[in-house]
Amino acid sequence: MTSITDRSTEPGAITRRAGLGLFISSLLAGQSLPASAAASGQLNIGVHISLAPTWFDPGETPGLITPYMLIFALHDAMIRPMREETPGHSLAESSSISPDGLTYSFKLRQGPTFHDGSPVTADDVKFSFERYRGNSNALLKDRVASVETPDARTVIFKLKEPWPDFLTFYTAATGANWVVPRKYLEKVGDAGFKKHPIGAGPYKFVSFQPGVELVLEAHETYWRKSPSIKRIVMKVIPDEATRLVALKRGEIDIAYSIRGELAVDAQRTPGLSLKIAPDGAMYFMYFPEQWDPASPWSDLRVRQAAFHAIDYKSINDALCLGHCYLSSSIVPRAFEFVWQPPAPTYDPAKARKLLAEAGHPNGFDAGFYWCDSSYANLGEAALNNLAEVGIKAQLRPIERAGFDKGFTDKRYKKGIIQGSSAAFGNASTRLSVWAVKGGAYTYGSYPDIDELYPKQLTEVDRAKRAALLEQMQKLVYEKHMFVNLWQLAFLNVAGPRVAEAGIGLVKTYVYTGPYEDMALKGS
Amino acid sequence: MKHYIARRAGYSLLSLILLSLTIFLFIRLTGDPTALLTEPGASEEDIAAIQAKFGLDQPLWIQYGVFMGSLLRGDLGDSFYYQTPVLDLYLSRLPNSLILAVSAMAFSLLLGIPSGILAAVKVGKFWDNAGKLFALLGLSLPSFLVGLLMILLFSVYLEWLPSSGSGGILHLLMPAFALGWYFAAAHMRLTRSSMLEVMGSEYIKLARLKGLSETGVIAKHAFKNALIPVVTLAGINLINMINVAVVVETVFAWPGIGRLLYEGVSFRDFPVVQGVVLIGGAMIVVVNLLVDIIYAIIDPRIRLEK
Repeated sequence: MTSITDRSTEPGAITRRAGLGLFISSLLAGQSLPASAAASGQLNIGVHISLAPTWFDPGETPGLITPYMLIFALHDAMIRPMREETPGHSLAESSSISPDGLTYSFKLRQGPTFHDGSPVTADDVKFSFERYRGNSNALLKDRVASVETPDARTVIFKLKEPWPDFLTFYTAATGANWVVPRKYLEKVGDAGFKKHPIGAGPYKFVSFQPGVELVLEAHETYWRKSPSIKRIVMKVIPDEATRLVALKRGEIDIAYSIRGELAVDAQRTPGLSLKIAPDGAMYFMYFPEQWDPASPWSDLRVRQAAFHAIDYKSINDALCLGHCYLSSSIVPRAFEFVWQPPAPTYDPAKARKLLAEAGHPNGFDAGFYWCDSSYANLGEAALNNLAEVGIKAQLRPIERAGFDKGFTDKRYKKGIIQGSSAAFGNASTRLSVWAVKGGAYTYGSYPDIDELYPKQLTEVDRAKRAALLEQMQKLVYEKHMFVNLWQLAFLNVAGPRVAEAGIGLVKTYVYTGPYEDMALKGS
Repeated sequence: MKHYIARRAGYSLLSLILLSLTIFLFIRLTGDPTALLTEPGASEEDIAAIQAKFGLDQPLWIQYGVFMGSLLRGDLGDSFYYQTPVLDLYLSRLPNSLILAVSAMAFSLLLGIPSGILAAVKVGKFWDNAGKLFALLGLSLPSFLVGLLMILLFSVYLEWLPSSGSGGILHLLMPAFALGWYFAAAHMRLTRSSMLEVMGSEYIKLARLKGLSETGVIAKHAFKNALIPVVTLAGINLINMINVAVVVETVFAWPGIGRLLYEGVSFRDFPVVQGVVLIGGAMIVVVNLLVDIIYAIIDPRIRLEK
């Protein structure tokens, strides 16, 4: 049996990192709560979006990142992104996978309780999995033959056939492993649960006024650590400028999503500090004509020219205050099986040379540059850079939903498309949608990449699978199927009372967390 | 009379049916809500599952049939975003909107009516010109700008008032002013024109000939009659304030129906937009129906009109 969070190259072996992760988890499980002063004080967060009661229930998690803002506070999961490790053991003390890849076993740690004081049991874990009906529900459950709970602390998932992505979907791409209390849910029902949710997370539900605020209180016996802040109030302030004013006046302590000039203003304001969550969506240029021999984009040198034409750093500095992550891959750096290609380089002279070699010494007209209107500023900056080397295109910003529909309906056959993705998953799931034949967003594909895809999908040997996925990502990069522009950073601002805002502490998670690590000055 | 009421009620019902069809179709022209209920790059399976969950995979006429069927049972459907009944959402926001609307209305009448009277009495003079400038600014300055300027002045520089949210009287002052500002200008203009019309009438001349003081003429005879169209407009405006204070409620994070509508539009939450628009429309239709009936009672000629 191999540990689930093990990243070793040999089956059965445990690396230092994985071993350390397990050691930390076991250590924390075995020890009593750190002795600390009772939680005190109140922290107010100005949230940018109305909070929906459906987000109190992890069983209904949609394919959106936003609900995790609440789920991380109210609930806890078997394995999830942790500060120490992503993914890391949380309610699960340990885990393992059978050599045939058919059985996944989890051992619950001793001690965690729900907010009503009842212990978290294997039965709750099973119940939570079975009642889950959110994002990718069918995809996950169709592959699971049974869930067994031989004792109160052991949960065993048996698959119908080996599926190396089981853990990706169980612990990251869905909310199925966030544990809810069976007895309480059966007593109050789904509607009652949304009115007063109970979880095993670091904060308890106190009250909720739709469109106004959510009040949470410390779950002082939280297994990982007793929160130091007694009360957290999430105030809904949809207007960005108003949010910043509220922060400046001390009405709130953290303001989510403060961008552009307002972020510059916040940076200049004494007492306020910018808090960056760097793991947002990837944004990239895609060339749908690269498979059309009559198009300039079919020439690799033209795509390489586009790669060198972009002044990544200047765009990042201007639009994101330099906080977006620059990479040449469309796979986020925190994803499992990611392979990092060489960093993007801005070299307009080289771009012009490549264009000349490709037979376009004076550049060419690339037609339209299609993009989601919310990020038209990024498109405009990229277009200016392309124009400087001779690739001219007209910006076509389209409202997000219409843009996405046009993209997936394959309506943008000519020109350049500015794609983006914030979908959960790993390198395999990301490539399947964007780079492999039949993917929702693929306008064409390359046989060598297509050939590797099904092989890795069924490869249970982790090392072999990683090698296959690395090969795929290398091919994607070498062919310059995409020119990645940035991985978006989520900019937030904290006020003078905040000692630890908890933003950016957990990889792949963009909101405050771990909530139990947040602190006010002097608390 | 019975026939008249039945005919007017029939027209009102037809108006509501047409409104329901219009809003049902127009909100769908904005695009597919599933794209906003998932992150970019979501799988086709997840998008299809969401469409099936909300019945968006059905033909439009079936969706409309389901919507109307639920409506007849008093069910406005469940919000895509909140996943709770739209009626519950509406009712939870209604008290906030009522408080804001009544405050804004009080402010708009307190400012609009006296300034309108003053402008009419001093026509062509300083107060009239000042009133015209006030009306121009009131009707042309967008409420979001007024709101943000107020936040800047009263919250940031003077630090007198909280910048946003709801709670106490201090929270209410700026949104009520920002919302009432536009309507104050409208009420001022109507009061002025109505007063000018009344002041030129024969009975006012007679009152003056009888030797009544100018204050007595204005207060006792002109003002009361000039007030009728203003009160009628104020009634309709109150309904508008309750239902469409979208910008003000968003800028000040005021949790009312306007913001609910804003959220509905932002997330293509079809049931919310349909519900809010229909309830607002129903309020206006019912008020108009009552006014028609009252008119018919007062003036029998009206009910004899075909």
